[in-house]
Amino acid sequence: MSEPVLRTEGLIKRFGGLTAVDNLSINLAGGRVHAIIGPNGAGKTTFFNLVSGMLSPSGGRVFFRGRDITGYRPHEISRLGIKRTLQVKSVFPELSVADNLWITRQAGRRFLHPFRRAASDLETKSHVERILEQIGLSALAGRPAGTLSYGDVAMLEIGMAVISEPSLLLLDEPTCGMSPAETNRAVEKIRDLARTIDIVIIEHDMDVVFGIADDITVLAQGAILASGRPAEIAEDERVREAYLGRPEDEDFVEEAAHA
Amino acid sequence: MRDTVLLLAMNGLIWGLIIALIALGLSVIFGLLDIINIAHGDFFMVGTVLAWFSLSATGNFWIGFIVAPVIGFVIGAIIQRLVIQPIHGAAALSIVATFGLSLILQETVRITFGATPRRMLAPIQGTVPLFGIDYEIYRLFAAGIALVALAGFFLFLQHTKLGIWMRAVRHDRETAVAMGIPAQRVYVMTFGVGFALAAFGGAVAAPITTVDFRGGVDVLPFCFMAVIIGGLGNLAGTVAAAVLLAFLEGLVQSVADPTVARISSLVLMSAVLLLRPQGLFKGFTR
Amino acid sequence: MTRRSIEIGMAVSAATFLISVPWLIPALTDNFWVSVITEILIWSLFAASANLLFGYVGLLSFGQALYFGFGMYGVALGIDHLGLSFWPAFGLGIVSAIAMALVSGVFAVRLSWHYFAIITVVFSLIFYFLAVSMKPLTGGDDGINFSLPPVFRFGGSIWSLTDPTFQYFFVLAVVSLCFFLMYRVINSPLGKGFLAIRDNDLRASLIGLNVYVLRLIAFVMAGFLAGVSGALFAFFGRYASASYMFYQVSGEAVVWTIVGGAGTMFGPLVGTTLFIVIREIVSSHWEHHSLIVGLLAILAVIFAPKGIVGLWNGWMTRLGERDAASAPPRLTLQAEP
Repeated sequence: MSEPVLRTEGLIKRFGGLTAVDNLSINLAGGRVHAIIGPNGAGKTTFFNLVSGMLSPSGGRVFFRGRDITGYRPHEISRLGIKRTLQVKSVFPELSVADNLWITRQAGRRFLHPFRRAASDLETKSHVERILEQIGLSALAGRPAGTLSYGDVAMLEIGMAVISEPSLLLLDEPTCGMSPAETNRAVEKIRDLARTIDIVIIEHDMDVVFGIADDITVLAQGAILASGRPAEIAEDERVREAYLGRPEDEDFVEEAAHA
Repeated sequence: MRDTVLLLAMNGLIWGLIIALIALGLSVIFGLLDIINIAHGDFFMVGTVLAWFSLSATGNFWIGFIVAPVIGFVIGAIIQRLVIQPIHGAAALSIVATFGLSLILQETVRITFGATPRRMLAPIQGTVPLFGIDYEIYRLFAAGIALVALAGFFLFLQHTKLGIWMRAVRHDRETAVAMGIPAQRVYVMTFGVGFALAAFGGAVAAPITTVDFRGGVDVLPFCFMAVIIGGLGNLAGTVAAAVLLAFLEGLVQSVADPTVARISSLVLMSAVLLLRPQGLFKGFTR
Repeated sequence: MTRRSIEIGMAVSAATFLISVPWLIPALTDNFWVSVITEILIWSLFAASANLLFGYVGLLSFGQALYFGFGMYGVALGIDHLGLSFWPAFGLGIVSAIAMALVSGVFAVRLSWHYFAIITVVFSLIFYFLAVSMKPLTGGDDGINFSLPPVFRFGGSIWSLTDPTFQYFFVLAVVSLCFFLMYRVINSPLGKGFLAIRDNDLRASLIGLNVYVLRLIAFVMAGFLAGVSGALFAFFGRYASASYMFYQVSGEAVVWTIVGGAGTMFGPLVGTTLFIVIREIVSSHWEHHSLIVGLLAILAVIFAPKGIVGLWNGWMTRLGERDAASAPPRLTLQAEP
């Protein structure tokens, strides 16, 4: 068995008296799409924050392809090839769509040239143009990102994740707030990406989860409740229980039963 | 030597109590409206000038204790409505706006009051023996008044409708509005209260400092120090920090010149900002 | 008229005006205005340093006067105490400003927003009070005067800033060079990194930008701009004084920048020009000109929160949209915004 892409050992995060992530040991193999699901407050986003360096753990370690990255700062982790999106869409609102992609492409470099004209970098420019086409935003390239529609911002975020050529992509509810058409567009794009990039996705929309995940990990109260293939998760009694009494997730129970 | 130390330390302590009043005004404005109020020192200065005018108009010093905060409150409320509200709490713009206010206040005072600094005679003359030195009675009296005003302000926050509204809006604006608290009116009132506190501090301090249109320039950094060292939004901490700082500056002044004293408090403030940006007293008060 | 042709027209007339100042002004009005324009150029460079931090990196510095003061004292002490000639003194001023910016930046850029604004004031106040108390060296608030060494010596001819025309062109050249450097930085990969941090520093760190280091670089660059302007001002006034390190001087730079248009190349120039011209015109008739300055600052933030240049850009964009609406649709892709 090869080295897992992402592994944590006894990861703990406490906020005052609250334990958001509780002794979490997770092992994510490469070449597969992992979904992390669980009720609100299960610690999903905290887990992403710990992996991406936005929070430092209260205990435990994080390994990326065998390398201990515990305590690395966000930009260092990003430069290793772990990119993430945020739950609340987060781009550079006053920069143009093209510049959002441009700076994301350049950000990993150790040296940002202080005097050369940015526009003269033809290699980056052609990358930006290709990605713009892929995410269908070529026509809006010059618009400030803050003026885009919600769905377009979400696509831009995905574009930003792609243009940096990550080796591991953490997607935090990528389709949240999207129209059905936009969701389909995003799911297609994620599936497409999964062929070359390892992806971990947090998602509430069970159509999306069961549509793209190869493996599912269910978190509840900061710990693993269950993990396995989608079919196994759908059958799992404890998972059903964790979701019971949550109307917005009733769909899931039904759907999971038929999956 | 011992007498000098004692005198300067006492002066520092009393000055600290007055500064605490002014800094409280700065802190509520900052906490509620998210505004860095560059004009706050001038609010204090306006208080000293109002005290001077009411003394020369009526011949009665004590009228100033009412006139200064009342007029201060009114001017503050008007300023909030006319200047601060239109910029919607954009912090950078508020700095420019209050910088402009500062110029306007200073210049208005220069036109009406004149450019020459003046001294005001304390209404209570004489000294009392205290720890072996003769100490001015008015300073002690000023300290008492400042203490009463501080206590009054905290009671106001705890027990009046406006005070409770102010705390609610500060704590969670959205919920407060949802509960029917008129946030806009609270903002207007808060700015008025902030100005009134500073102006009252000015009226109290007028006889122990000079009345001068530039009198606020020096007070402003001191108030900011108190607010930062006390911890942003920590009102009790602000008071403690103001008193502590002024007392320490008084002590240092007895062995070195005032500038050195000022530098040492600024260095202390840098250290607090870098090491404990939540303020020195967090954890002690809440 | 398209936006581009209007802007090119304005740039050409501005450049023509600036180059012809030493001849145009005496022909139209008083010679004294040449020195006012020289002063405007120097102060607009100072405002540009506040603009680089606030407008392009999102850091509101209220302490740029510190680096202005270091540039100023570097020159004055270099000439007066160390007996340096012109260029070494100029260099000393700039290097000391940069060094100070580096040392204080290491601490200051760790903090963000309000805390950053406040610590920059605190640092500048510390050195202001130091300068005031070290009167034998700095002259305190009264300052120190020095006599100008010549800039160049070619055989028999001596070029010195005592010639107002030469002084004007010297200042124009240095200020233009600095604005050009800033323009290059803003449009470089580094500049886009700055903008990304201004817009969203959390996101910037997630895409791999080292926010701390980039902020520090910007802080040192701004220290450089402020230092150059301070050094120029020392040459211009043959004088250095602690009073120029007070926080109100820093505050003016911020006000000029925001009124002119923060985050725009020429906002600081426009704002500085406006305020200094008003000061010069009004102050000769009425001593209470600060009243007008204060009123103007308030009106500007209420009615033009993006500044004068921001207002102008808004009009131009609308003009562009109107043109686009009336012209047949163009299908070319605009990759470069």
